[in-house]
Amino acid sequence: MNESTLFLITFILYIIAAFFYFSFLFTRREDRARFGFIFAFGGLLIHTLALIWRTVESGHAPFTNMYESLSFFAWSSILAYVIIEFKYKIRKAGPYFLLIVIALMALASSPLMPKEAAPLVPALQSYWLWLHVSVTLLGEAFFAIAFITSIMYLVTESKNRRGVKTGLTAEKLDSISYRCIAIGFPLFTLGGLVFGMIWAYKAWGAYWSWDPKETWSLITWFVFALYLHTRIVMGWKGRRSAYVAIFGFLSALFTYFGVNYLLAGLHSYA
Amino acid sequence: MEFLLKFLKSLLNSLSSVKLAIFLLIFITAASALGTLIPQQRSTAEYVARYDQLAHVFIRFQITNLYHSGWFIGLLSLFSLNIFVCTLTRFLPRLRRAVHPKLITDKKNILVLKIKDSFGKNWRLAKTQEEFKKELSSRHYRLKGELKGNRAFFSARKRILGLFGSDVVHLGLLFVLAGGIISGSGGTREHLILNEGQILPVSKADFKIRLDKFETEYYPNGSVRDWKSTLTVLENEESILSKVVEVNHPLSYKGFVFYQSSLGWNWSNPSVEIWIKKKKDPSFLKKKEIKIGERALLEGENVQISVLRFVPDFVITENNEIATRSLDPNNPAAFIKGQRGDEKIFSGWIFAKFPDFSRIHHIKEADFSFELKNFKGSQYSVIQASKDPGVNFIWLGCAFVMIGLSFAFYWPPREIKVILEESHGKTEVAAGGIVSKNREAFQLEFEKIMASLRRKK
Ligand code: HEM
Repeated sequence: MNESTLFLITFILYIIAAFFYFSFLFTRREDRARFGFIFAFGGLLIHTLALIWRTVESGHAPFTNMYESLSFFAWSSILAYVIIEFKYKIRKAGPYFLLIVIALMALASSPLMPKEAAPLVPALQSYWLWLHVSVTLLGEAFFAIAFITSIMYLVTESKNRRGVKTGLTAEKLDSISYRCIAIGFPLFTLGGLVFGMIWAYKAWGAYWSWDPKETWSLITWFVFALYLHTRIVMGWKGRRSAYVAIFGFLSALFTYFGVNYLLAGLHSYA
Repeated sequence: MEFLLKFLKSLLNSLSSVKLAIFLLIFITAASALGTLIPQQRSTAEYVARYDQLAHVFIRFQITNLYHSGWFIGLLSLFSLNIFVCTLTRFLPRLRRAVHPKLITDKKNILVLKIKDSFGKNWRLAKTQEEFKKELSSRHYRLKGELKGNRAFFSARKRILGLFGSDVVHLGLLFVLAGGIISGSGGTREHLILNEGQILPVSKADFKIRLDKFETEYYPNGSVRDWKSTLTVLENEESILSKVVEVNHPLSYKGFVFYQSSLGWNWSNPSVEIWIKKKKDPSFLKKKEIKIGERALLEGENVQISVLRFVPDFVITENNEIATRSLDPNNPAAFIKGQRGDEKIFSGWIFAKFPDFSRIHHIKEADFSFELKNFKGSQYSVIQASKDPGVNFIWLGCAFVMIGLSFAFYWPPREIKVILEESHGKTEVAAGGIVSKNREAFQLEFEKIMASLRRKK
């Protein structure tokens, strides 16, 4: 037994969960969704073990390379999903959401991602790294759910307009998107911006240097601030809000992947 | 005069509008994104090579130094002003409402609320009032009431602080923006290049810094684990304090912060350690430490070795000259020469990283082989000294933002409005609940309160 076996078991559990969720989607049998949830939850537990294992083995937080950070992102996404499913019963979002998680896991296990825990370069040896990455990714996991429910909103809303009845109403989806963002926004602010600035100040002596990754985090944050204000002050709801939420998550994804591969900067490791 | 007033009023209106905020947010976002697509602060030549004709347009509009350009800072300032005016104009009425809630209202206004209830009780007005007070206080609601004839109006509220969540966030943002401006205009930053034992003054400070010791720690695989500089603060030639500065562990003193920034090699006076072996005699091994330009005697052999040159990063240039590619010891090499008496017997380059590959040219029959085992240059440490008077505003602002966000999202105020009306010894109750977020939880609480009051005899 080692970390990569645990990772593999987790991956398989998520795939089984997705399988049940899709079967629920097509057969509408509630028990399938329940099984999906149980497997996703089981995957979460094994995944937690895998992350702890890796932390103990390498002696540092598991987000120092792309493999580790993808695995952690997948973990926090499932965690966020379990929380939201528990509170608001959004099982219809389950299949789509698990697709994202499986994509993350597949990307993490692709041969392109170096897996060995490399020794930490000096700048990464800080507990702010722990706080910065974990809280940011947890916040983004909630944005991911808002992304899925916003897309589902758009689909459901156009179905409803054509007179097709749906189980999960468009209104409910809209309100779940908002709630996810209301949870994700403070987390993202704390992890991505506040902890990021503290760490940068400790490591480089400048809390903000307009490095591309910093700038794109700020852009993501602005987009969600836009979401909140258009909604609360100008009363936007539904379609327009959904578009902003989708755009916000895409911007978060770009911050996470795009900046590393397309733009150069200080954050070249994770 | 009237015109001026009108103008000021409309200016204030636009400055307090959320529409302007949305416009500015979109514009600032787009500009920030543009700045990540076009490399910043490069040379004019590089821009011309990249963008040709467009380069001059970019430079003209300061897109090549976007985040520090006048127009970008102008946008941020306008945004700050917008937040300030908008928050202030909304804060005062909200504060008034929080202290003096509107109590007298029509029953209709309560019964249109999403969370509501109405029922009758066989109680007199005073008794009903008493019971409501008891029930609501036990759930930490604070009551304000007003009696008007046979009617009583209540407003019971809790978590009132949550009402000001967004104001606290906005206030925090103003601190952050102010901190950014102060950092940008009042901050200093310089790089101090220090050799061990060296003392340097810190500009704009009344003290000096001495580097006592500089070490690099390595992992077993040879990659760098850490750089450590032991720094001492000197004031009037007196040591005040010492600290080992590492990456992520700076030294702070009198508003200045000292960071381990980088390091470099100083090859002005290097020495090398050379091992000399004999091919025919495996037991023969001599170790010599020699400074460049000096010579050492091989005892018993009557041979003198001298080291004429050392390069840390050996390279042969196009003109067939030996040079160093960098100052880092990537491929250290030494040029050595040997003579017996006045007679030259060998000369050539030896390489620390490639012990088997020496370019020794033996003129006379001699059985020696040479290895460049070690080399000593001194390493200097680059310490960044910075003074950033804005940074405390930033942390204070961040704290406000986080506190405000928690209030805004997780502490939504709850309000229950109640009208009691007595007629013929009975009291009619109409109650409604107002909340901005997490309605389900509030609804549950509201229903519990009402159920408990309905049950009471
Ligand atoms: C990036 C900048 C900004 C951030 C992060 C921000 C953040 C927030 C947050 C978190 C809320 C509370 C949302 C909620 O209760 O769900 C809020 C509300 C609000 N913001 Fe902002 N804000 C920003 C800029 C602005 C600006 C420039 C204005 C002014 C025009 C503004 C006007 C408002 C208003 C009017 C509210 C509603 C207040 C209320 O009814 O509670 N915001 N803002």
